[in-house]
Amino acid sequence: MRKPSLLRGIFILFFLLVSILIAKSLVVKIRVTHLRAEPQFYAQSLAVLKAGETVEQLETKEGWIKVKSSQGITGWVHSSAVKPKGLALLASADSLKTDASADEVALAGKGFNKQVEGEYKARNPNISFAMVDKMLRLEISPSSIKTFLAKGKLGEFGREK
Amino acid sequence: MNCKKTLVLLAFSLFCVLFFLQCSVMEESAGIFGKVSKIVTSEKDTIKAVRSGFGDISEEEEYYIGRAVAAIILSMYPAYQNDDLTRYVNSVGMAVVYHSDRPETFAGYHFLVLDTEEVNALSAPSGFIFISKGLLKRCRDEEMLGCILAHEVAHVQEKHGLQAIKNARLVDAFTLIGEKAIEKYGPEELAKLTDVFEDALGDIAGKLIERGYDRKYEYEADRLSIEIAARTGYDPKGLIDFLETMRQDSSQGEEKGWFKTHPSAGDRIERAQKEISSLSLIPEKASARTARYEKAVQRLR
Repeated sequence: MRKPSLLRGIFILFFLLVSILIAKSLVVKIRVTHLRAEPQFYAQSLAVLKAGETVEQLETKEGWIKVKSSQGITGWVHSSAVKPKGLALLASADSLKTDASADEVALAGKGFNKQVEGEYKARNPNISFAMVDKMLRLEISPSSIKTFLAKGKLGEFGREK
Repeated sequence: MNCKKTLVLLAFSLFCVLFFLQCSVMEESAGIFGKVSKIVTSEKDTIKAVRSGFGDISEEEEYYIGRAVAAIILSMYPAYQNDDLTRYVNSVGMAVVYHSDRPETFAGYHFLVLDTEEVNALSAPSGFIFISKGLLKRCRDEEMLGCILAHEVAHVQEKHGLQAIKNARLVDAFTLIGEKAIEKYGPEELAKLTDVFEDALGDIAGKLIERGYDRKYEYEADRLSIEIAARTGYDPKGLIDFLETMRQDSSQGEEKGWFKTHPSAGDRIERAQKEISSLSLIPEKASARTARYEKAVQRLR
């Protein structure tokens, strides 16, 4: 009787290990996104997620991914805001974790960045970014878009008959 | 003995799973983010990232490219100052964005009306979208405006702007950017990188403003705009209305803005009609939308 229970224990441990390893880690690739209560932009925001933050994928639904944040909060993010974390999937290995984060730092701040824009501005004083910055400041809140959709019978509100 | 064998077998299986996972992870990186291959050689800052095409441009880099393209557009056309109208155009734009396949970009989508009678709409990478006052005046209703903005969102979604950058330029940039994580570039590296940045902007602006996108990208944006508009709840025939307006204008000898750069309206109408007829459900116009559109553009009339 001892052998089967030991074997069962080993198998359970084995499958647990495999499932932990398969758990998919995602990293936020845009400046800021929200962890939302429902798979909708105007659903309640449960937490703010910043570029580089890691979340764990739980399930997917029509372009949305249910995830668990590093603080343990479960909610939805849109798939266009995240990317697979890559090597950090092997999260048990600390050395690999270090490498993955170094890689993300390298790719995030490198290339065409603020410093290059600064140099470009210095070379092209006739091209003003003031209006671009003003353009960026106007943000319509998701709740206002919800009202706009509802009043115009658009999106899910247009399908209500 | 049996138990030992099982343990050895399990250990071997675990090793295989780990090996398989590592391989699949590397493949996934390559599949989704272009041809990024990462080779870990030691513990710190030695990851080699080889990037080779437009798909390897990061969201943040796309944002800085988009900002500069937007600044170039705004150096050619002033913004139309009407906060209510800007807000309305942004609302229509965001309604469409929410129903696209790429609703989130590095700093989100932003829409602006250009103060010109030219009939034109433009989109810069990462979601900077412009529509001219002249084109807004030609819009009949919110359906038509929604379809035009959906067409521009489709260009951003499919990264058509970034695809205008010559590949050799990107390879130069990626080589310069190199392998190590650097907080700040030295003067020489910065100068070279800015040269490539300026050239890349020239490629995009040349396509967007002077020559127009390749035919295949326009057809693709038309097809996607029909899908996105229908998902949003707009009657996709708004695109046909817009293309008809273009056809009338071009027959009257208008050769400015959109008309000089885009494929013939007649050809696009034919394709768009086929796309629309293949939709399982075609949303209808709603009077509430037409009323708010009329109110928003009142000052333009």
